[in-house]
Amino acid sequence: MKKEKSTKLELQYQNEKSRPKGVSQWNIAWRRFKKNKAALVGALIIGFVMFLAAFDSLIAPYPPNATPGFYVGEARVPPSLKYLFGTDKLGHDVFSQVVYGARSALYVGFGAAAIAMSLAVLVGLVSGYYGGLVDNVLMRITEIFLVIPFLLILLVFLKVITAVAPASIGGLSIVTLMIGVFSWASNARIIRGEVLRVKESEFIEASKALGASKRRIIFRHIFPNVLHIIIVLTTLMIATAILVEAAVSFLGFGDPAAITWGHQLQLANEAVKEAWWEGVFPGLFITLLVLGFNLLGNGLRDALDPRLRE
Amino acid sequence: MLRYVIRRIIYLIPLFFGILIIVFVASRIAGNPVQLMTVQNPHITAEARQRLTEYYGLDKPLYHQFFIYLAELFQGDLGNSYALRGGIAVTTLIGDYAWLTFELQLAALFLSLLIAIPVGIISAKKQYSKLDVTVTTTSLLGTCIPVFYMGIIAIIIFAYFLGWFPAGGAHSILPERYPFGSYVLDELWHMALPTAVLTFATLAPVVLLVRSSMLEVLRQDYILAARASGLSERSVIYKHALRNALIPVVTYVGLYFGAMLAGAPVTETVFNWPGVGRLFVEATTKLDFPVIMGITVFITIMTLIANLITDIAYGYIDPRIRFE
Repeated sequence: MKKEKSTKLELQYQNEKSRPKGVSQWNIAWRRFKKNKAALVGALIIGFVMFLAAFDSLIAPYPPNATPGFYVGEARVPPSLKYLFGTDKLGHDVFSQVVYGARSALYVGFGAAAIAMSLAVLVGLVSGYYGGLVDNVLMRITEIFLVIPFLLILLVFLKVITAVAPASIGGLSIVTLMIGVFSWASNARIIRGEVLRVKESEFIEASKALGASKRRIIFRHIFPNVLHIIIVLTTLMIATAILVEAAVSFLGFGDPAAITWGHQLQLANEAVKEAWWEGVFPGLFITLLVLGFNLLGNGLRDALDPRLRE
Repeated sequence: MLRYVIRRIIYLIPLFFGILIIVFVASRIAGNPVQLMTVQNPHITAEARQRLTEYYGLDKPLYHQFFIYLAELFQGDLGNSYALRGGIAVTTLIGDYAWLTFELQLAALFLSLLIAIPVGIISAKKQYSKLDVTVTTTSLLGTCIPVFYMGIIAIIIFAYFLGWFPAGGAHSILPERYPFGSYVLDELWHMALPTAVLTFATLAPVVLLVRSSMLEVLRQDYILAARASGLSERSVIYKHALRNALIPVVTYVGLYFGAMLAGAPVTETVFNWPGVGRLFVEATTKLDFPVIMGITVFITIMTLIANLITDIAYGYIDPRIRFE
């Protein structure tokens, strides 16, 4: 009887091609994602900015390595075909600066998000899985970081660092690092919540019963099951980091040597009356890129979060 | 309820000390502040430096300085400024600037809640309608525009092209310029543009939150039960759903207020608004550590108070929290 059944199964799948193909969670998510127009627009925007960043020296008509950078000789010319976004007070082409700013924005966005999410995942996993005293201590620290007036501390740190080493040692990297170190807390809390939920599942119970080590359970069983949340949070974190860096540069605490949209806005703010184009275009690009990451993040959440399925 | 409130207050104390330690270390991480302040002064002698260091008590070990700071803090003394107005007391300085910050931030918070809650409810009630799509798209866009950019655009349009509002500051320079000769009206006139921008920036995430929270609640069984028992739609939404939908919103209001206060340097710089935020930027540029510390401590205390009020409101709305 038993043997008969197995041969039947073998017969059914004799032809490899007729075998029903497994559909993974990720396949299902991808199908759902493809239907989401807003998310695709977001991906397109990010792609466009990445393109600008990758080929900045080819796209920008006036390169920064001329002395002084982006110099075209005519100050405060309104947008025209020659100067797409006009020129600023010092006679620099605004469009070329915007193009070169793309790389800084992406650098800070991805860098800060990578740092913040690594910390958030670590704290979230450990705190959620171990519970007890570890959880208590980690969550108190997390709360401190949630309530702390983060922008104020960021400004002080950056100012102190430039005062200690006026030659701006890797300015943009320090901004990125500081944003990352101070923005993990809310994400850690969300990840912890997810870990607590997954931890109670039967398959965790099963692997415990099979004698799996704690490390194996955390990284092989829990981590893949909270990965979708991490992906969504990372995307949204990139958007936040870009906004924070823009604010810092706008206040004049960013890296003065780097070409950033926030810094352009700071210079433009001194003369909004005379030359509106100086600020309007860089700001538009910040908004566009942040919108791109937010749309992508929302799309990914709809595609990946099983609880939102109708 | 009283026990609950006391428990919340006790809970906030270690949080306050934790933040205090981080801020203190952050402001001293680079070493001696006197060294930093005088680094660009070629005429200063080592002896003068030594005298300044001793004067500000910076020659003692860091933990000792921290305890002195704490002791003074509990007596309501935040020290004296290094660089502003001839060493003015930090508490006086903050007192002079704080009201303008509060005025602006509270007006924006209040207005944004007043608009966001009904808009969010209507948007949720008519999910996927044209109105809902417009509201969600605008709100999403609102969360993506940096506040200072919104401010710059508003200044270009309403202050320069249309000339309706002043571009910055809190008061006209000459009293003759006051509308109808009134000081209060002049301040309100100056406040209009920053309040509008800040309101829109705060509004956007709250609308999205109210909407999603309302949608979540409307899916619950008790709403179905309320409808089945023949209650009017009005009663279902405003009596049964709203109270539950507001629970997550209340949690966020405390956090938002903290974030708004911490974001004050940005908003106040755009509109040249003379509040603590701009004062902070000025103090940081001059490495005036007592003022930096003072403002950070002040904003932290305000944030914690906002959180406490949030917690109390939370306990009031949701009985499960209160009796836990």
